[in-house]
Amino acid sequence: MRVKVWGARGSVPAPGPHMNRYGGNTSCVQVTLADGDVLILDAGTGIRNLGVGLVGARRINILLTHLHLDHIQGLMFFPPCFREESQITIWGPASPEASLEDRIARYISAPLSPVEVRELPCSVSFRDTPATEWEVAGATIRAEAVTHRGPTLGYRITDGDTALAYIPDHEPALGAPLAGLEPEWISGFDLARGVDLLIHDCQYADDEYPEHVGWGHSGLSDTLIFASRVEADRLLLFHHDPLHSDEFLDDLGATAKRAWQGLRRDATELELGQEGGEFAVGPAVQAVHA
Amino acid sequence: MGSPRSQKPLELILARNLLTSISTPGFLLDSDAAVVFYNEAAAALLGRSFEDAGRMSAEQWTAAFGPFDRQGAPVEVDGLATTEAIRAGRPAHGSFTIRAADGARVAIEASAFPIVASEHGSSGAMVLFWPLSENGDSSPGGGR
Repeated sequence: MRVKVWGARGSVPAPGPHMNRYGGNTSCVQVTLADGDVLILDAGTGIRNLGVGLVGARRINILLTHLHLDHIQGLMFFPPCFREESQITIWGPASPEASLEDRIARYISAPLSPVEVRELPCSVSFRDTPATEWEVAGATIRAEAVTHRGPTLGYRITDGDTALAYIPDHEPALGAPLAGLEPEWISGFDLARGVDLLIHDCQYADDEYPEHVGWGHSGLSDTLIFASRVEADRLLLFHHDPLHSDEFLDDLGATAKRAWQGLRRDATELELGQEGGEFAVGPAVQAVHA
Repeated sequence: MGSPRSQKPLELILARNLLTSISTPGFLLDSDAAVVFYNEAAAALLGRSFEDAGRMSAEQWTAAFGPFDRQGAPVEVDGLATTEAIRAGRPAHGSFTIRAADGARVAIEASAFPIVASEHGSSGAMVLFWPLSENGDSSPGGGR
């Protein structure tokens, strides 16, 4: 399995000279399975650049964690949406209020959009994620609701003997100190248990978190404790706050590595999500940066 | 790595987090009507922490704490407000007497409401309860 980060920013795109290294595009991750099939995790603004290179891909599966704008904003600018030959399946959380298509159409419709979903030239279908594991492009997918604001999923993707968990928006420590809590009471625990790579929310530094309790995102220490509790082999800190410059994130990464070592883990197992970053994921493989 | 027990549904996790943060005595039931958590305020009333008690089936719960009706007779599991909340999927309210760990009887009012997720139906119920004073008023603080 290979992973490429096309957008690691949270909340809102954050372009600018101080954001160039980690990137300003919002959540989007490309997962290339062992047989070459591609899954796309979230459709933040990073999906636009991903789509430019997806020439010739007919069947495309996009797994949405939730429908906040930073996770769907790129859909309308995803080049395969405008190719007749594209067959796109969009998976996302169910809601008793409206279908997935209708909820996404609130964004891809006037006055917010010049096109409507029905006008897209591609063939697009919208599917609620099943309550049980299912197969997509040969991988086993599992989706579970996790602690965030509004219906939000985390995903576990298993391809052969390799497992990845993607939980970009997650506040498992809300009202629940993670260090001593039983695993069965920790949001997202089963999704992330023992994965080769955990891509997880780390929007805030620890001194920022108290001002943002209940906003649906994690502070650094909570992210590290969660990753440690689930025994993830590697951790990618994700969903960077739009106010965090490259310099800030460098410092946050250094702090994170020290704290990770304090949890008796190897600092090389932890990285910050960086636009363009690529990883080979599996037992005992190393990161490869673009 | 952790418990082999299956993870609780998110709505139960969030309900537990809420109960942990409030001073009103309360407990959580799973879809089998087993008590899977009660908070410190409830522990103060019952005289026993949840960490000590652990998960309790409805039968274990009633054997340990009651409840009892106004005449002192045990209330059957099927007659509990909590059972109604889970089985019928609607809120229920009742007045009982419970027996704390030290044997003291405490008159309470309890309100139970079902926790239902569209994804997989009933996840259980949350029960909040209030001790009654001798004149029958419920105490907002919850402690004995």
